[in-house]
Amino acid sequence: MAEKIVVTAIGIISALGYGQEEHIAALRSSKSGMRYPRYLQSVHAKEFVVGEADKSDKDLAALMDLPTSGNGYTRTTLLALTAVKDLLKNTDIELLHKERTAFINADTVGGMCSVENMYMDFIGPDTKPENLEYIDTLDCSDSTRRISKYYKIKPFEATISTACSSSANALILGHRMITQGLVKRAICGGCDALSRFTLNGFNSLKNVDRNLCRPFDQNRMGLNLGEGAGYLMLETEASANERGAEILAVFSGYANSNDAYHPTAPSPHGEGAYRTMKEAIEKAGLRTGDISYINAHGTATQNNDQSEGEAIETLFTDNIPYFSSTKPYTGHTLAAAGVIEAILSIYGMQQSFIIPNLNFETRMEGMSLQPTATLKENINIAHILSNSFGFGGNNVSLVFSKS
Amino acid sequence: MKQPIYIKSACAISPQHSFNKEEFGKPWTSADTNLLQAIQPDHSQYISPVAIRRMSKLLKMGISSGMQCVKEAGINEIHGIITGTGQGSTLDMEQFLKDMIRLNEEALNPTYFIQSTNNSVNGWLAMLTKCTAYNQTYVHRGLSFDLALFDAMLMLNETTATKYLLVGGFDNMTDEYYIIKDKIGYWKKDRINSLELLLHNRSAGTIAGEGSAFVTVTNNPEDTMCALHSIELLPDADAAETALTINNILQANNLSPDDIDTIVCGMNGDKDNQLFFDTILADYPNATIAAYKHLCGEYDTASAFGTWVTATIIKNNHVPEELIVKRNVQKKIQNALYCNRTLLNQTTIMLLSNNQ
Repeated sequence: MAEKIVVTAIGIISALGYGQEEHIAALRSSKSGMRYPRYLQSVHAKEFVVGEADKSDKDLAALMDLPTSGNGYTRTTLLALTAVKDLLKNTDIELLHKERTAFINADTVGGMCSVENMYMDFIGPDTKPENLEYIDTLDCSDSTRRISKYYKIKPFEATISTACSSSANALILGHRMITQGLVKRAICGGCDALSRFTLNGFNSLKNVDRNLCRPFDQNRMGLNLGEGAGYLMLETEASANERGAEILAVFSGYANSNDAYHPTAPSPHGEGAYRTMKEAIEKAGLRTGDISYINAHGTATQNNDQSEGEAIETLFTDNIPYFSSTKPYTGHTLAAAGVIEAILSIYGMQQSFIIPNLNFETRMEGMSLQPTATLKENINIAHILSNSFGFGGNNVSLVFSKS
Repeated sequence: MKQPIYIKSACAISPQHSFNKEEFGKPWTSADTNLLQAIQPDHSQYISPVAIRRMSKLLKMGISSGMQCVKEAGINEIHGIITGTGQGSTLDMEQFLKDMIRLNEEALNPTYFIQSTNNSVNGWLAMLTKCTAYNQTYVHRGLSFDLALFDAMLMLNETTATKYLLVGGFDNMTDEYYIIKDKIGYWKKDRINSLELLLHNRSAGTIAGEGSAFVTVTNNPEDTMCALHSIELLPDADAAETALTINNILQANNLSPDDIDTIVCGMNGDKDNQLFFDTILADYPNATIAAYKHLCGEYDTASAFGTWVTATIIKNNHVPEELIVKRNVQKKIQNALYCNRTLLNQTTIMLLSNNQ
């Protein structure tokens, strides 16, 4: 049997705050991070609530000892850098240089948050436009490269972009590379900053709720967008023990599969989601009855919650575990969603509480399932399942177990 | 990774006549604009007329080359689709972004937004091949395709069952993206003929290109084009570190530099890029040196075209004259090195061999 891959450090920034304490406090008090945007400059800023991180670009740059303006660092990269800084706060940074480390990042629209306000200058006649240092930051790997350089992470780096499942896929690649002995450790996760591009994109699909999103509710009206970044440090159990690192969770299973059905809509009865959850649980060597909690993708769009709900009912039949979507807290953080939701679930598992699904009132018609709507404390959580489903039919499920 | 993998089929849409292999180089095409555009095949073979009208060039190129590659492999089922793209569908992204600015964030067409998603080609290929298995997209500039191939090798090393994976890379060069890169010194100042690119290697910059290339790879050596023994991706290495990496690969495969008979290089006419290759190639005085970027231009996934070229010349045991930088006498192509390097110094090294 292959060696266990474990989580030994976590870094996170989202609308709920910065770092573990602020996140756990918000979850335990059922406090959502949603509000009207302060930093996102959109004509729709007063119409849509979003999960915007509280720190300004200047605050974030200052945290990283970077110049606070014209530095070429987009908000996407700054969020990612601060999350990695959080991850490394109890870790010897020398490890990243001394032993083979992979940095596997995920991102959907790169530095769009900056470039969308500068683009017409960039393609205009001026050969040296203002903000030239941002001209090539639209690239998804811009944040990856800058972080690798900032922390001198060697020798491997990669950026994955599979829409809303991107960072979940980054975690899988880290798991596989360590299992095959290609690297000793991997820092895996993802980042996305709010942008007008994505807000208008989802709005053009009529997928955005102007009010707080209501996952798995009969009267759900769409998603709320969010931003953030999260990273996990992965290594083998032996490697963690060798250096006396605390094991925060075991990354026990995963699956990636595709709907092969439609560019944006999930398979109608959740066949893809069903198959992915089932494979991930099997990969972990578990049975459905072993899962104590599901962190659902639960975007609160009509399509997703219908098909994910059906998939959960089909797979778990009349033994459905506690489940919730944490998107009402953070908004849908796109590429970062998979890892951020894994992190929130790990916090719940470590501290024995079930995160309630906010804003739930009415069960979906024709279905028996309903999410856990109130905080449950003192629950022994042995194994959790975290779902991320993206455009292009890209489905990922991850299983984490108590250490 | 311990086990080699095998390239079963390869298909490329490029600025050359490459979609139908037998037409490759008949004739060679060139441009004097510092921008090579891909020759489009008849996309109606794989895409419905309704979809063709809606789709951007990148989607069409990705779908047609991916589907053609599966067809040429002659297999019934693929077990995963792994791709790389540096920019995804830039044309869709640009259209949505400019509409958003022009229309002040009102009444936008969602099609451009959907198609601008970096994994949209993957989603289409999964639908058309009915492949519900592993599906992945890397977006990592000049290593995007190379990461996809790396992932495929990793995956084939995780199993003992026979598997076939579809691996590709694609990018298109839009007018706006060309302008953006021009402002940060990517392209040569003087207009040159693309086929003479490598003669202009004393000045900075290169020429732009685009294309889409796919391979199917497998752990079953039967009836394949060539074997891939190692792939190493170097995010920002100098010539010395790259040479060390190559030596490590050769040692791990019990080879010496003298055993390498052919080297396929991603030299792009830039002066620093040329200095890098001059240093690397000094260790291989007896090998035939081939290059390909004067045929496809420089773009994030030019390495996919380079891989197509390499697999094709090994299978045919012949390096076309137009690719030759330096020819050496050899009876057979047995062991080939592949070395791509971009203007950002992202470098890929592969060791391939003839397994017929």
